[in-house]
Amino acid sequence: MTLPRALEGIRVVDFSWVRAGPWATRWLGALGAEIIKIEWPENERGRLPSSTTPQGLEANLNTSGNFNDTNVNKRSLSLNVRTPKGLEVVKRLIAISDVVLENFSSRVLQRWGLGYAELCKIKPDILYVSMSGYGHTGRNHHYTTFGPVAQAASGLTLLSGLPDQPPAGWGWSYMDDTGGMYGVMCVLTGLYHRNMTGQGQHIDQAQMISSVPLNGPSLLDVTVNGRGSRRPGFPPGNRTHWPGTPLLNNYRGPTVAPHNAYQTHPGGYNDWCAIVCHSDEEWQRLVQVMGQPAWATATQFATLAGRLAHQAEMDAGIEAWSKTLDKYTLTERCQAAGVRALPVQSAEDRVEHDPQLRHRQMYRELEHPMLGVHKVQNAPFTLSATPVFNHLPSPLIGQHTREIVEGLLGYSHDELLAGYADGTFWPTTRARFPYLEEMLQ
Amino acid sequence: MTDAQRLPGPLTGLRILELADEKGQFCGKLLGDLGADVIKIEPPGGEAARRVEPFLNDMPHPERSLPFWYYNTSKRGITLNLETADGRQLFQRLAATADVILETFRPGFLAALGLGYDVLHAQHPGLIMCALTPFGQTGPWRDYVTADLLHMAAGGEMASCGYDATDVLDAPPIAPGGGNAWHMGCHYAYIAIMAALVYRTVSGRGQYIDVSIHEACALTTESAIANYIYRGEVLQRHTGRHHAAGPSPRTQFRSKDGKYVTALVAGRLTPRYVKDLAALLDHYGMAGDLHDAKYQDQQVIEANRDHIIDDLVGNFIASLPAEEVYHAAQDRGFTWAAVRAPEELLDDGHLQDRGFWKQVEHPELGRSFVYPGEAAIYNGSPWHISRRAPLIGEHNVEIFCEELGLSRQEFALLAESQAV
Repeated sequence: MTLPRALEGIRVVDFSWVRAGPWATRWLGALGAEIIKIEWPENERGRLPSSTTPQGLEANLNTSGNFNDTNVNKRSLSLNVRTPKGLEVVKRLIAISDVVLENFSSRVLQRWGLGYAELCKIKPDILYVSMSGYGHTGRNHHYTTFGPVAQAASGLTLLSGLPDQPPAGWGWSYMDDTGGMYGVMCVLTGLYHRNMTGQGQHIDQAQMISSVPLNGPSLLDVTVNGRGSRRPGFPPGNRTHWPGTPLLNNYRGPTVAPHNAYQTHPGGYNDWCAIVCHSDEEWQRLVQVMGQPAWATATQFATLAGRLAHQAEMDAGIEAWSKTLDKYTLTERCQAAGVRALPVQSAEDRVEHDPQLRHRQMYRELEHPMLGVHKVQNAPFTLSATPVFNHLPSPLIGQHTREIVEGLLGYSHDELLAGYADGTFWPTTRARFPYLEEMLQ
Repeated sequence: MTDAQRLPGPLTGLRILELADEKGQFCGKLLGDLGADVIKIEPPGGEAARRVEPFLNDMPHPERSLPFWYYNTSKRGITLNLETADGRQLFQRLAATADVILETFRPGFLAALGLGYDVLHAQHPGLIMCALTPFGQTGPWRDYVTADLLHMAAGGEMASCGYDATDVLDAPPIAPGGGNAWHMGCHYAYIAIMAALVYRTVSGRGQYIDVSIHEACALTTESAIANYIYRGEVLQRHTGRHHAAGPSPRTQFRSKDGKYVTALVAGRLTPRYVKDLAALLDHYGMAGDLHDAKYQDQQVIEANRDHIIDDLVGNFIASLPAEEVYHAAQDRGFTWAAVRAPEELLDDGHLQDRGFWKQVEHPELGRSFVYPGEAAIYNGSPWHISRRAPLIGEHNVEIFCEELGLSRQEFALLAESQAV
């Protein structure tokens, strides 16, 4: 028996590009929604430039590995929306869709003649989710972001690093991943509301804005206690408190020690293990696991206050031990004794060595027509009645133009051919990929 | 209050039972702020998350924890001891009135109490139950103990965050703070719950959801996985910018006021960009040789990349306060920003224009405090903090007596037997 999908019957017109928007619609697709990605090869961001094209393959619009992982579960319609004919096609599509999603700057869709008021004329209960940098209202709505810029402006970057050093920040666009999450959250919440009330709406999600509520406790420390984060000992590296600085909470849960990353055998770039003890009892268990070295049984370490006061010495002692074990052995020994420890894992570690992710089938293979068979990242949850899975590789650009234009929208094949001849479905000056030629036969 | 704020939130009419510690309380807040009736069920004496600092005026007390305040807005609170027969029976009665149960207990805990999904679902086929746990309900690590830091390690965040050796020699991988492992798990839990709710609007059916925080974290490192899968690359950590397979130009510059500015310049240096950059720097008399016609040649730009980035951009930013660079650059179309501290956001005019900051009343203190607001503006069904975090057992009488229909006497007996 084939189980239904949670979002079966939901159609999404997806204008999104680069990362945050496409990461959102990827998950809507995994939940069963039909995602139609509107693209234009002359004006494409996300497929190129690609630093994830496999060695030996030509880097072109269809060979980015990261694009593939970010755009599974979608079909592609190549369309110049900035022509009257293209606009007519997209309006016909919107008229039979549930959701319009985009992550352009704040005024782009309006300029195209597809602002929310216009969308409502086409489809009265449409759900429109915009995912801009700064939102559609407010004095800086025209500002632009990439993940790292949203992270800097919102306070997220400053959370990461060692005291008295430049911020270490986030080593990737955390707010592209997380902005994508908020995009999905807005779509699903808006759909639930529409199904219950019959009303669509415009939801104005923004990357920089969505970052700010992730700093809740530190912001309340400002508004309630008047305490800012530019202070000695903040951010405290991987610790909860930096030795020799005032004993204040640093917004990463309870103030405890040990709470750090320790180098492990054989000392490679990612040979580290994180160890945390939340109580004196957990510390005693760690002392046991370490084989009760003389230094660790000293009374100064028996209490939390003592461990915080002598953190540098304690961390050095733990690391002398951790360096004798590889990170997975150390993890197993600690966990067997009820001590909180997990390895620092690179991407290779996660894909190849993590027994939990393997058991949960986090990476399952999917075939892409140009890239071949590769592992794709799966959902971090299961729904018992409506399975969540990746059912399509990322689309080649324009791959589904014919089936959408003719099959879904009811244009004739001659109209399709005319649209290719006049530059509606592909730039007249640009060479067509072989699969596009085949489609036009 | 604007007209929009008088509209009900999008999740109005839904009832959520939240049995969640630090791992899941943010998910309950997201549901509650969007209009759901979230009932937080705590053990007698209160949830352990109430003991997390910082506290109001630094005075430790379970009703003064600022993280607890923040993550538990728009909820009502009751206490219930699930390890008593009376407590379990009351829980079952409550579950019959709920749309969603969100729980973060260790795998098997509720089932061992006779409160597993099969039991509750048999009585209430529309019920959705979401278990949000460190590793999910199955697998070799299922019973491992964790912490936010541990998830940032195993999820891959730490492998991507840290320093260039030229900035900090032998630096460890760095875990960003702020409890973001819990945020990642809660975002995906929220998505799974909402997908199940949308499905229920058309099918009437509930279902069981198993969310893994480890998997949520492992999914949140952007291209790191693709770089490995498609090219076999393991990325290096760089100060304040993207992980990369090799060296990359810096993007973080110190400003005159000792702060930093994130300026994404490298990789964008085209003749057009250099022209705009010259105009920006020229406004402050710092364009140097950037107006030289030779910079309209891409090869010359490439050959002078370090000069442009380190000398010109670096010196320009060093001559001004971070906030001024930020706005001057953005107004001219540059995707740059000041690296700000939380306290610097309160003065942000843009956030003020959007009505981002909210006053939340704490009637028991006779005060109100400013809270951060919504991640997104729902124009047709607004986000809204309906109340401050509940006090311990604050809504026991309201929910057990007025809503479930227990008499005051029955309630007193339950309290005596420590069921509530």
